[in-house]
Amino acid sequence: MFDKLLFFSSFLLTISGAAMVLGSKDLVRACIALLACLFGVAGLYATLNADFLAATQLVVYAGGVVILMLFAIMLTGGSNNAVNRFGINKVPSMGDGKTLAFGILSGAVATLTIFKITKNVFIDYNLQEIPGYSSTVEQIGQLLVTNHVLAFEISSILLLGALIGAAVIARPRKS
Amino acid sequence: MSLFWYLSVSFVLFFCGIAVMIARKNIIAILLGIELILNAAALNFAAYTRFLNQNLDGHIMSLFIIIIAAAEAAVGLAIVIRFYQIRESIHIDDATQLQH
Repeated sequence: MFDKLLFFSSFLLTISGAAMVLGSKDLVRACIALLACLFGVAGLYATLNADFLAATQLVVYAGGVVILMLFAIMLTGGSNNAVNRFGINKVPSMGDGKTLAFGILSGAVATLTIFKITKNVFIDYNLQEIPGYSSTVEQIGQLLVTNHVLAFEISSILLLGALIGAAVIARPRKS
Repeated sequence: MSLFWYLSVSFVLFFCGIAVMIARKNIIAILLGIELILNAAALNFAAYTRFLNQNLDGHIMSLFIIIIAAAEAAVGLAIVIRFYQIRESIHIDDATQLQH
């Protein structure tokens, strides 16, 4: 029941977010739709028992990549249509119905995902024996430092190169 | 909730990403499409790990896809900001020269 609820809300959020990235004219709105879509993908990871991937998706994408994209849109002035379709200046507001629906559904999916990830904490904590602990974090950690240690180290070098390269490329130059 | 549903979600994500990459003329919108495509690939890896075999190599692969997507977004947006400083535009048709 819980898994079905999480799956169908994530399914709806992912599909509608991807369609809205495709369909919306405004770039900021497309970016917010991408954020909703990534929340949905995190919920799908949670239904696949991939709790570490769901948490990584929430932290890296929702906290990092989409915010970076929003900063880039603001810095390049990508969304400068301050006039609505009647020719009146727009008032900054809390968003329309679609944005609110995306927000509510994203909040619901994120809450269900976090509850699914931390489910082991909530069940059976008043019993005397230790509850069955099923998480993929330990196995992923062991795989990362045993079988896949070379890719792990190379990815750290890749991230360092991306960090320095992005700082060098985006640096303002006096000329 | 069989493998079919996850593959169909992944297909829709991939299709929307390809359509965004082809249809949009804005460089940041194209980067949004690339993020959708990378998410479709990572979702496929996680779904096959759950339904075909239970070892976690697919999760490792999805993790590296997320890492590479973060690095790609950082460098791509740096290039976009630098391009905007030079050309005052982020339209894809203005990017016709490698140097200025």
